[in-house]
Amino acid sequence: MEQEVLTAEKKNVDPNTSSTLSKAQIAEMEKVQSLTKIIYSQFREHKAAVVGAYTILFFILVAVFAPVIGNVLGVDSESQNVFARYKPPFSRISVAMDVREEMVKKYMANNPDEADVVAKELIKEDFVTTKQPADALYEWSHYEKRKAMAAIRLLNIDADTKVELRNLAKRFETFHIFGTDELGRDAFMRLIYGTRISMGVAVLVAIASSLIGLLIGALAGYYGGVIDSLLMRVTDALISLPTIPVLIVVAAIDLQKIPGVSSILSVGNESILKLVFILCIFSWMTVARLVRGSILTLREREFILASKTLGATDYTIITRHMFPNVLAPLLVSVTLGVGDSILFEAALSFLGLGIQPPTPSWGNMLFNAQELIYEAPTLAIIPGLLILFVTISFNYVGDGLQDAIDPKTIKR
Amino acid sequence: MINFILRRIVQTMIVIVILSYVCFGLMSLMPGDPVELMISANPKITAADVARLRSFYGLDQPVYKRYFNWVSDIATGDLGYSRTYRIPVEEMMGPALGYTFILSITTLLFSFAVAVPLGIISALRPNSRIDYTINLFNFAGISMPSFWLGLVLIIIFAVKLKWLPASGFQTTGMEYDTYWDEFVDKGKYLILPVLSLSIQSIGRFSRFTRSSMLEAMRNDFIRTARAKGLARNVVVWKHGFRNALIPLITIAALSLSSVFSGALITETLFAYPGAGRLIYSSIMGNDYNVAMVSFLISVSMVLIMNLMADLLYGVVDPRVSYK
Repeated sequence: MEQEVLTAEKKNVDPNTSSTLSKAQIAEMEKVQSLTKIIYSQFREHKAAVVGAYTILFFILVAVFAPVIGNVLGVDSESQNVFARYKPPFSRISVAMDVREEMVKKYMANNPDEADVVAKELIKEDFVTTKQPADALYEWSHYEKRKAMAAIRLLNIDADTKVELRNLAKRFETFHIFGTDELGRDAFMRLIYGTRISMGVAVLVAIASSLIGLLIGALAGYYGGVIDSLLMRVTDALISLPTIPVLIVVAAIDLQKIPGVSSILSVGNESILKLVFILCIFSWMTVARLVRGSILTLREREFILASKTLGATDYTIITRHMFPNVLAPLLVSVTLGVGDSILFEAALSFLGLGIQPPTPSWGNMLFNAQELIYEAPTLAIIPGLLILFVTISFNYVGDGLQDAIDPKTIKR
Repeated sequence: MINFILRRIVQTMIVIVILSYVCFGLMSLMPGDPVELMISANPKITAADVARLRSFYGLDQPVYKRYFNWVSDIATGDLGYSRTYRIPVEEMMGPALGYTFILSITTLLFSFAVAVPLGIISALRPNSRIDYTINLFNFAGISMPSFWLGLVLIIIFAVKLKWLPASGFQTTGMEYDTYWDEFVDKGKYLILPVLSLSIQSIGRFSRFTRSSMLEAMRNDFIRTARAKGLARNVVVWKHGFRNALIPLITIAALSLSSVFSGALITETLFAYPGAGRLIYSSIMGNDYNVAMVSFLISVSMVLIMNLMADLLYGVVDPRVSYK
């Protein structure tokens, strides 16, 4: 901590700052900093990494609050409308008649008295052509949103009912920020739910595969000998294979043909679990190499010898004394691994072998959009941009963490 | 040295053999075997017929027996027939490998031509504004899905501007008068696939060039060269760059694996008749014989390239010792 004292003194000597530094501040500077604090302050200096971290946080919030966003915008990711396919961004679309009638039916069932009053009013004011009170509200529901709203304003009914009817009329029209896709679903909401799937899969794969890598690397590094060379040959072999062709071959297998597996998996999440599993098999190798390397050097250190002398078991030595020391580089490779996994998920889904529709993921949205680059180019551009933003953020954060934990680059 | 080479060759062979067995096993788990296709084509088929067909095609035997039969066929030079196109596999494989080779080599050369200058510029001015800009570009390149870039390029250059063809490998029905005409026409179809495929390697190579150049410029002999008053150009190119080049050569050879990996998607997107697209379309079309052979041959090629890169390292850098 000599260095810190020096900097503090230097600042003291500096005529510009000497007057502004109080005793408390100097004491603060002289205090011993914990490693996490050093890494944190070091990380803060990597501007791109900080921006990346905030971007990731933003996307995580989007993924978590996906249903809330859907409620606020009044659209969902699943309702289809074949009459409004491939609409351009920022289009307003009137909802299909049967859906509106369904809404009115529900309203009438819930509030029979108010509905009756409203129906009579509608007939009295000649807003509808029918004379049957039972049909009046249905006819009203066939109006455009603006006309329906105008009708409510002129009706002689109490304010609460007006508010309720307005809420109803608001849903006669939907607003699509990014337009609609090949089934008339809202592209924006699908992207938001796609964030959940794509990022969820990627984070899951990165964590699971680093655990596999940790285990294999630790075994190989700690025990050495035959175990080491066997495990490392497997690692080398897997690492040298071209990833996408291998992933395709594995992804194309039919899980139903493997006895016993089909009973474990339910139909709904089959493609997601399968994808996570496949990506895990082929992404633990870098972590394993890294962990093995660190453990090989740790094995020769005195504190390991000390705990061995004290009679610690292999398990204790590996988990209590070695793992904390590989944690920092592991964190870096998990972060970088998330970026890679997002790209691989997108690639496989783009080839139709990853996440299966109707579940939205950024990759399979691109797969659906590639047929239609003439009609709806935005559908092809936006999911890719999101992939780019998230992956670049994870890569920058990984880079920033790497710099932050590397003792050679630490500036005190 | 000889020992090292032999060991690496044996290792590669073992990987190929294991891979072929695993791959063979996986193919039998894919949906739709030949008999199932016949069943769906002929509703009158009886259970006895199915059993007879299965034993005729050897499908009732366990996987390892079928694998040995298949390998002994391969060993005699019989690669089998495509189930979809009814032509020998080697007739599909040969041209496809050639096209993939052209695509990969062009991509590698192009990414080198772009990445090395970028890397050197940022290494000569570390932490400058231009270094940060190039760094951002590199990160974007690494983080970009190459197929998405391909889609965007198609939208811009083929759909909107109509400058370049969106897919294929040559103008259909075109007769070439001269080799130059052929070169220009086929080259036009290569531009977009190469651009989209090379973005990732450009990012990776450029970052690698930067760090390797920084490392090289930190050597003592660089300081000596500067001290004795050599021109900056001579110091950078003759003393710095030549030393930075050594690790670059191996990185280039090793990256063939990832280029081939990306080529599969790029070829599919641009309907370019390469080996990657052959693997993909034959798997999707349940044409497993083609899928097996094309997958194994192209992956073996990649592994052999890796092996050569390993050996090449010793040739370009005599300081490397093999143990």
